[in-house]
Amino acid sequence: MAMEQDTGNDLSFQNLGMVYEARTGSVAALDGFSFDVRANEFITIVGPSGCGKSTLLQVTSGLQAPTSGKALLNGRSITGPSPDKAMVFQSFSLFPWKPVKQNIEFGLRVSGMSRAERDELVDYYIGVTGLTGFENHYPRQLSGGMQQRVAIARALAMRPRVLLMDEPFAALDAMNRTLMQEELVRIWSEHKPTVLFITHSVEEAVYMADKVLVMTKRPGRLKCTIDINAEIGCAHWRTQPIDEVLLVPKFQELRHRVWEEVRAEIEVNA
Amino acid sequence: MSRRMSKTGRDRLETAIYATISVVSVLVFWHVFSVHMLKNEFILPSPMQVIGGLERLTLGYLGGNLLYHTGSSLLIVITGYLIGLGIGIPLGIMMAWHEPVNRIIGPVVAVLRPIPTPAWIPLAILWFGIGMSGKVFVIILSAMVPCIFNSFTAIRETPRELLDAARTMGAGKRTLLFEVAIPSGLPTIVAGMRIALGNAWATIVAAELVAASAGLGFLILAGYRNFEAPVMAAGIISIAIVGLIMNFAFQWFESRITPWRESEER
Ligand SMILES: Nc1ncnc2c1ncn2[C@@H]1O[C@H](COP(=O)(O)OP(=O)(O)O)[C@@H](O)[C@H]1O
Ligand SMILES: [Mg+2]
Repeated sequence: MAMEQDTGNDLSFQNLGMVYEARTGSVAALDGFSFDVRANEFITIVGPSGCGKSTLLQVTSGLQAPTSGKALLNGRSITGPSPDKAMVFQSFSLFPWKPVKQNIEFGLRVSGMSRAERDELVDYYIGVTGLTGFENHYPRQLSGGMQQRVAIARALAMRPRVLLMDEPFAALDAMNRTLMQEELVRIWSEHKPTVLFITHSVEEAVYMADKVLVMTKRPGRLKCTIDINAEIGCAHWRTQPIDEVLLVPKFQELRHRVWEEVRAEIEVNA
Repeated sequence: MSRRMSKTGRDRLETAIYATISVVSVLVFWHVFSVHMLKNEFILPSPMQVIGGLERLTLGYLGGNLLYHTGSSLLIVITGYLIGLGIGIPLGIMMAWHEPVNRIIGPVVAVLRPIPTPAWIPLAILWFGIGMSGKVFVIILSAMVPCIFNSFTAIRETPRELLDAARTMGAGKRTLLFEVAIPSGLPTIVAGMRIALGNAWATIVAAELVAASAGLGFLILAGYRNFEAPVMAAGIISIAIVGLIMNFAFQWFESRITPWRESEER
């Protein structure tokens, strides 16, 4: 086994590359993606669509192996999925045959946790995500926003070291989206797992992140990093409501900057 | 959204009214046509004569009453059906889950699938005689094939994202099969069971028409041999009624085993 250097980071991507072999030819989705994430950091990732963002998350979750380079978690190569890396999918991916409570409890039960422990954790996250009273509803009986809450509760209940979210709010309407952004920050701040959060919304990215990563067009590489904490210089704005933060000049400036970076990547294509 | 129309009490009443109208008009047309126009009870008995036929059957006809013959058919159907499910569902699931099993058994199933089960009846009689076992054999075939096919499709079409989600939560291969793929495919598996039941019921009647000493198909054939059209018609109606009851029973079973789908209809 090759020696793996411990970078002292929670997550470390080293020269990550991914080439898909499809019938129509091979597609390079990632090429030379490198970045280190510190523990408890909230990272948002933006980039033109098709630039390999989902691929990056799939590799981090261990669902797919990269074709070159490596992804490390706590200094160890990621070799497969495990409960310490929880994923929230854009399409929720809830089990339609399980009521809310059983959906949330699935991972805990699979990992062999006792019923009493499970109940306590599940009840806690049902409360935190505002799902109280819906424990016995099937996913189809819930609105999109509520379903996404279940997906988030399900991931959080695993108490993962890393929380991976692939455009989790893309399917929500604007109002629910704003509410969920604020709530996610609140829930996240309780245990602060390391977060990789993919989004198409620059506003969302700048509001929630410690650092915003901008990716190049395909094959995706890291284009630039914007360290929001360093830019703000004082307390992070994500603890305040979005509609107030929208008025902050610094927020507007950063949003503009991130957007310019993304736009440059999209316009190269045009 | 593919949400089905909601079923309110009003809708139900309307459905019932239309159903009554359609059945009653067929009966009226049948009565008028047979009694006043055709006037040939050997070819087409009137509804009243058929009720007379049913009455004769209930009192006893060729070795037993209607209940006896129905029971005889049902016993074979249920035995063969359950064995067919017991083989077909696990086999279809295994084929979908383990590629080597599919490579070996898949071609055999592909050949069996397009053969209408009644084609097997003469061969089954040759092998097993005209007793119960030959019929059970064809019923097993008739139920097994759709079960294999639907179970296979059900497992193969498990949404990739659900499997991925379960894997990120630490599910191993066994858990993926039993807690994700099978429940996810259950509606399709149950649909296969429904097709299988219809197949089995059609096949038993066909088998009894060929060779039997009891059963509803046997009654129809006996009615034909004795020039008793009312008996034949009564046999057909009995088959329809049993089929309907089986369908209702199945619907109830379906709603119990896949309760999350009912919530779609709210
Ligand atoms: N399983 C796959 N097989 C072949 N090509 C794929 C596969 N998954 C993604 N791709 C391709 O890789 C590229 C990056 O995809 P993805 O990571 O989903 O991008 P993003 O999430 O940034 O939109 C796209 O061009 C996509 O078509
Ligand atoms: Mg994507």
